[in-house]
Amino acid sequence: MIVPRTLRIAGGRLVDPANGIHDEVRDVWIEGGRVIDPPADPDAKTARTIDARGSVVMPGGVDVHSHIAGSKVNAARMLRPEERRGPGAVWPRKRAFRSGTSGSVPSSFVTGYQYAGLGYTTAVDAAIPPLGARQAHLEFANTPVIDKAMLVLMGNHHAILDRVRGGSEEQLRQAVAWLLDCAGGYGVKLVNPGGVEQWKQGKARLATWDDRVAHFDVTPRQIALGLARAAEQLGLPHPVHMHGMNLGLPGNWATTLEGMKAVEGHRVHLAHVQFHSYGGSPDQTGDFDSQVGPLVDYVNTNANVSVDVGQVVFGETTSMTADGGVAQYLANVTGRKWLSLDVEQEDGCGVVPITYEDRNSVHALQWAIGLEWFLRVDDPWRVALSTDHPNGGSFLSYPQIIALLMDRGLRVEMLGRLPQRVRERSPLGYLSREYSLSEIAIITRAGPARMLGLHRKGHLGPGADADVAIYAPDDDRRRMFALPRYVIKAGEVVVDDGELRSAPDGRTLLAGCEVDPAGSAELDRWLRQEATVHPAHFRLDRDEIARPEVVISRPGCGVSSKG
Amino acid sequence: MPDPRPDLPAATETDGGNDVGAVIEPVVCVACGCLCDDLVLTTNGDRILAIEPRCERAEAWFLEVRPDESNLALALIDGRRATLAEAATRSAELLAVARAPQILGLGGSTNQAVAAAVQLADLIGAVVDPASGPAVARNVALARTGRVSATLGEVKNRADVVVFWGADPVRTHPRHWERYSVLPAGRFVPQGRTGRTVIVVDDRRTATAEQADHFVEIDRTREFEAFWTLRALVKGLDVDPDRVRRNTGLALEHLRRLAGLLRAARYGALFHAPPGDSATLPETAAVTEAANGLVRELNRHTRFVILGIGEPGNPSGAQAVLAWQTGFPASVDLAAGFPESLPGVTSAADRLKRGEADVALVVGAAGRALLDEAPGRPAAIVIGPPATSGATSQEVAVLCHAAIPGLEEAGTVMRADGVALPLRPVRRSRFPTEREWLDAIHDAVLRGETP
Repeated sequence: MIVPRTLRIAGGRLVDPANGIHDEVRDVWIEGGRVIDPPADPDAKTARTIDARGSVVMPGGVDVHSHIAGSKVNAARMLRPEERRGPGAVWPRKRAFRSGTSGSVPSSFVTGYQYAGLGYTTAVDAAIPPLGARQAHLEFANTPVIDKAMLVLMGNHHAILDRVRGGSEEQLRQAVAWLLDCAGGYGVKLVNPGGVEQWKQGKARLATWDDRVAHFDVTPRQIALGLARAAEQLGLPHPVHMHGMNLGLPGNWATTLEGMKAVEGHRVHLAHVQFHSYGGSPDQTGDFDSQVGPLVDYVNTNANVSVDVGQVVFGETTSMTADGGVAQYLANVTGRKWLSLDVEQEDGCGVVPITYEDRNSVHALQWAIGLEWFLRVDDPWRVALSTDHPNGGSFLSYPQIIALLMDRGLRVEMLGRLPQRVRERSPLGYLSREYSLSEIAIITRAGPARMLGLHRKGHLGPGADADVAIYAPDDDRRRMFALPRYVIKAGEVVVDDGELRSAPDGRTLLAGCEVDPAGSAELDRWLRQEATVHPAHFRLDRDEIARPEVVISRPGCGVSSKG
Repeated sequence: MPDPRPDLPAATETDGGNDVGAVIEPVVCVACGCLCDDLVLTTNGDRILAIEPRCERAEAWFLEVRPDESNLALALIDGRRATLAEAATRSAELLAVARAPQILGLGGSTNQAVAAAVQLADLIGAVVDPASGPAVARNVALARTGRVSATLGEVKNRADVVVFWGADPVRTHPRHWERYSVLPAGRFVPQGRTGRTVIVVDDRRTATAEQADHFVEIDRTREFEAFWTLRALVKGLDVDPDRVRRNTGLALEHLRRLAGLLRAARYGALFHAPPGDSATLPETAAVTEAANGLVRELNRHTRFVILGIGEPGNPSGAQAVLAWQTGFPASVDLAAGFPESLPGVTSAADRLKRGEADVALVVGAAGRALLDEAPGRPAAIVIGPPATSGATSQEVAVLCHAAIPGLEEAGTVMRADGVALPLRPVRRSRFPTEREWLDAIHDAVLRGETP
């Protein structure tokens, strides 16, 4: 008999590390958008069978930290028309597909097509101010194929800072829940906690976790700790997602270490940790070197911490951050165009073009420092592949990074072409580790899914979302991971024999958390005083969110549990 | 795209079951560039009786009495009554055979209607170009050197120096002062008005200048030079007084004092309205870039932001939708099968003037005037409120009567500072929405392609 709506991926080399399967020939059965148990009848026929013999079958990729929607991303598009001209930068219209442009910040439809084209089926935008959530959700609705979620900026939000200073834990928790609920968010994001507010006031930069934010009279340490606790107490699927202090500054490794200690005892995800691992000092940039060592030692011995790397790749890209002060610094250093937007009560936003050059020893060191992170974290479940798209480079460079992680020879060859100083100031050349296919699957899908608490993603056991990528083995790993043979999203074959064939809408993932009506009412009244937007409009209606799906946290779905 | 707030909002009965006195709140007003979102409307059925708080622009917008439309057809094809399906099919036929179709107007359209217009343009290979006024020059300047800006609430809460340069909000944006820029007590400006220094720069003593603390009269044809001189002064460079007078028409001391006021700001806000219609796009872009450059320079010394004063309707939203769907905020040409944009070359207005359009689809009230100037008389399809269907020198091939965004159509719109707000219909319309018309035409084109 033929079971309708079923799909069988037959004979592939299954790499599903979350279920302890490391390159074994197994079938995957799919029905109604989910993975199912193989039918008892061994001769059961399916609506379609994909012959995957010889190919590598993995769950669809999950990007834990990217920037794909909202006001900063769209401002970057407007800032950079020069990137979207010429044959390599345009995406022509084909039946059922919309046209668009790419560059470092692709248009919305192209973003979805390009992620799917890599075998990625889920991406998280890591920095949405609540006031920008409506636009971000509109863009999500125009970003096909992939499932999306947003992390909500809270580390400089006035309601948060006020409650960190003068409120109870209960009130802080209510404010976090209120912001997530209003914005349709998935998790809590901090960007230079307190430091952006300080910059907006035009005051001297906060340099340590115990400096005090002017007017609010709180420290970055108090903010980070308060939000880490609140995220845990609310039972959010993803822990507090922290972009710490002093991003990009020489000598910032010490504050990065201090930041991890500031939230000791709580789960935390450190974003784009590469940008926070530098030696030297702000005044002595000549001393710039890798200080991954002390940081990775801490991560390796503290199971509460996960990281994504924020790998730098050489070439032209666009930096974007909620830390307006860092963007100003970068714009002044590079002399390039600078877009900045202060968002009331909430955060900043800065966008600056940047070119990472392999001849530039600082850029080359940043490249080496990123790779060093991947190679020195013992437990791959706690390090995720990211370029902090588009900050370190486009997500399209993931295959290139995978190739470097799997092949020491390739790294040595690259390293040999870089300035001498890189070999002197980074231990990369001594690291002989090579990632296995299973480890690649962990850092690109199984691990990020677990960090995010997405228990139906990142694996292909029964009940999992039927998001699958099938790659043809190739000694050129870059080509292998850039051109999947098949990609399946929610059971639908979207890349078929190497061609993108369909682009169904993805879902929007929301965090399930309890919202206290009385607490929200009080915050609405506060907003009415402080903001220029009516509370009824600050809060998104559920029908403004494209295909919402609430994710409930599962106890024990922690980052440290090994697969 | 999900359809936000598709239903009429729940009206609260305040008058014992009688329809009179139903209250709708809060409502977004698109009558001027403020896009205030706190209006309280009292209605009787589909009639709006009163608005709180008082605002002459909002009253003119919401309380306007419409002529009886009950006999109007949904659509006219060559002047004859037609159904929605007939009008959509006829429009699709015209667009499908067009060699150089254009979609323009869209100045008041919701983000959702703009998205539908871009989708249609993508399908037929049209130019899509919202009428966005000064925004085009703002985009060009932005793409050259960037811009340091903020949402309006930052002005409310932080700005101790507020400059209106070429803008006269007291006359054109009645609630701008009270809601955003001058009067409110903010977190860092608890004294409200007295905590702020208000400066007006303009070519005449405007209503806003009358209420300002400082007024600087300038020749607006020379404000490019004025901005660059101010930038030099803020930077602390030596400038030659004679040259300054020759180039700007101003005494150096005036500009030096203004530069001093700007530098003394703790958090300054410059609302800049570029000079009017006589300036060309490159000129306006250059002036805007000079203003942006001054603000960027000021940020080396203090915090300062530049904002637009805002235009009625939804031009900012239209640009945002174009930018995320195509990568370009305006003047997008999809004829090659992918987006291309070169403002001034691919602009709908310029192409119409050069006779480079054979079919024009105009959405909303704005944009009709462009057709009258177009040589070669492109065939016109007009989607808009009945008020725009009046006499015009341009024959209209298909006229589609549509509900009015902001009154009768749900969706979202965007303030000039990028804050998106939901629109809810406050009265019903007999006519399809702009978005429904655009979707119907899109579907009709698709049907035509696949018989």
